[in-house]
Amino acid sequence: MENLIANFNYVIVVILMMIGLWAMLAQKNLIKKCIGMAIFQTGIILFFISIGAKNEAKVPILSKFVAENPPAIIVNDYANPLTQILMLTAIVVGVAILGVGLALAQKIYQQYSTFDEDEILENQRK
Amino acid sequence: MTEQLPIIIILGPLMAAVLAAFAGWFRPKLSHPLVLLGLAASFAAALKLVFIVADGGTQKYWLGGWGDKVIPGQKDPFVVGIQITVDHLNTLLLAAVSGIALLTAIYAKRLVDTELAGRQRYFDALFALLVTGLLGISITGDIFNLYVFMEIAALSSYALIAYGKSRAYMASFNYLIMGTMGACLYLLGIGFIFIKGGTLNIDDLSGIIPTLQADGPSQALFVGFILIILGAWAKMAFFPFHGWLPNAYTYAPTASASVLAPLATKVAVYAMLRIMLTVYSIDYIVGLNGIQPIALYLSTAAIVMGSFLSLTQTNLKMIACYFVISEIGYMVGGAWLANKPGLTGAMYHLVADAAMTSALFMAIGCIVYRLGQAQLESLRGVFFKMPVTMTAFVVTMAALIGVPPTCGFFSKWYLIQGAAQAGVWHFVVALLLSSLVKAIILFRIVEIGYNRVPHPAIQGNPAIERKEAPLSMLIPTLVMALGLIVLGLYTDTLVGTNTIIGKAVSAALTP
Repeated sequence: MENLIANFNYVIVVILMMIGLWAMLAQKNLIKKCIGMAIFQTGIILFFISIGAKNEAKVPILSKFVAENPPAIIVNDYANPLTQILMLTAIVVGVAILGVGLALAQKIYQQYSTFDEDEILENQRK
Repeated sequence: MTEQLPIIIILGPLMAAVLAAFAGWFRPKLSHPLVLLGLAASFAAALKLVFIVADGGTQKYWLGGWGDKVIPGQKDPFVVGIQITVDHLNTLLLAAVSGIALLTAIYAKRLVDTELAGRQRYFDALFALLVTGLLGISITGDIFNLYVFMEIAALSSYALIAYGKSRAYMASFNYLIMGTMGACLYLLGIGFIFIKGGTLNIDDLSGIIPTLQADGPSQALFVGFILIILGAWAKMAFFPFHGWLPNAYTYAPTASASVLAPLATKVAVYAMLRIMLTVYSIDYIVGLNGIQPIALYLSTAAIVMGSFLSLTQTNLKMIACYFVISEIGYMVGGAWLANKPGLTGAMYHLVADAAMTSALFMAIGCIVYRLGQAQLESLRGVFFKMPVTMTAFVVTMAALIGVPPTCGFFSKWYLIQGAAQAGVWHFVVALLLSSLVKAIILFRIVEIGYNRVPHPAIQGNPAIERKEAPLSMLIPTLVMALGLIVLGLYTDTLVGTNTIIGKAVSAALTP
């Protein structure tokens, strides 16, 4: 239990991802599927940001003195910048996918006048 | 110059995509030659690298020169940048992907002009972007970079599919949901590996992961592995994640399907192989109790289900799509057999199946171009109408069935050998069954296309006018079909002990 409270961010990440996954797979409404996708991606972004964070860590920029004396670098003093950079890319990718998904949903709406998956399938069978 | 070859493979189509999009604005006619030029540069570089790698081993390239920097006071070189690797595992795939893309670009011109009149330049740009993504997945030496390229390829393929008629939007949307889920699972898996390994470089990880497991198996690495494998399975339409594939590739424009079907799924299989064999290792996979049999049963299920569903279809494109699903089962099964013939079969089938599927979809595209549709019933008399196309089609089907001089026979031979060696008999049965089903479908097409019309050579019967597809489509189709036989004849130079695939397999098997 203490472990859960100490790592509450991971608990939230898991909850977010489960909501997103459920919405992507089980929802019938195409827009809700897109929303689920966005939630799932947000969960992953939070997860990556959480693993890069450290208590009382500095911004990972080396001063001139430290850079010239490598043994003086204490890795634990610095936050891991890599995860944030990765997530910057992942956010861009996620926005692009969401854009394409919504554009497709709009086209589908123009075609069938509904966002409901069942009604669309019924329409296709005719 | 030669040390710059790896980056040219990606830069060729990437530059072509950007230039085609802009040049098409002013001179729409320019976009297609630009794409051809970019793909040709990429193919030339990939082909040259095959020979360089065969002689000199792995070629590495650091983007922007970042990497392999030695920091004073530290022993190991410090890896900062993104690495590009061309080794025995991916060099053949790179050549196959860029070569097939080049041939398809030539082939697709006429189809695009008729199917997507007025939008050719967008298609050209997206096509080049898709190839960039696929080549990027195959060449990168960094697992996060692999994710980015995966999404580049996926985004352009969603758009390429959505160009189709009627149901294409819905098919593309379903693919988008499934593809994004796969990519997200993959990304999550990277997170777990990064927590333990602290690096994203594949070469570094392959050295670090065994040391992390010295005191027993690590839960985080296991979860990461499973997530990545699930993500790759969703991307490659492996059973039970195959639902999106048939509709997406059937309702896509024929030109899009002829590049997506052979390449997109194969590259995802390669990504799985890379994670399984290089990042993790064969020992790790064999050590996973219970996972290996499940993967093998799923492969069998994919083959059996793909084969039987292809029997129930009446549309030639749909049949081809279910073939793709069953072929995915071959490769995943071969990889998870985790023995020498199994891996050889899987790696050889990666290239062979890209060629076979490409030839199949090209032949179907020729038929669709002339007949306007691909329903089995509409194929009556097609053997008299388009004899050359149908010759290519029959050769391709023979390769898919596994008739000896073609490449399909050899890959299946190795896979069956591997399955027999591992004692996985259900996989052997599935492989043979799949051949049988493909033979049935070939005979059915021959029956409809050849026998259901009065033979025109007999006096008194109505003559059937010969009307082949245009030469710009016919020649790539024939080249591809011929390539299947050539690839089969040169099997020994590819998979022997001291050859490219042979070395890739032995590198995977020796820790």
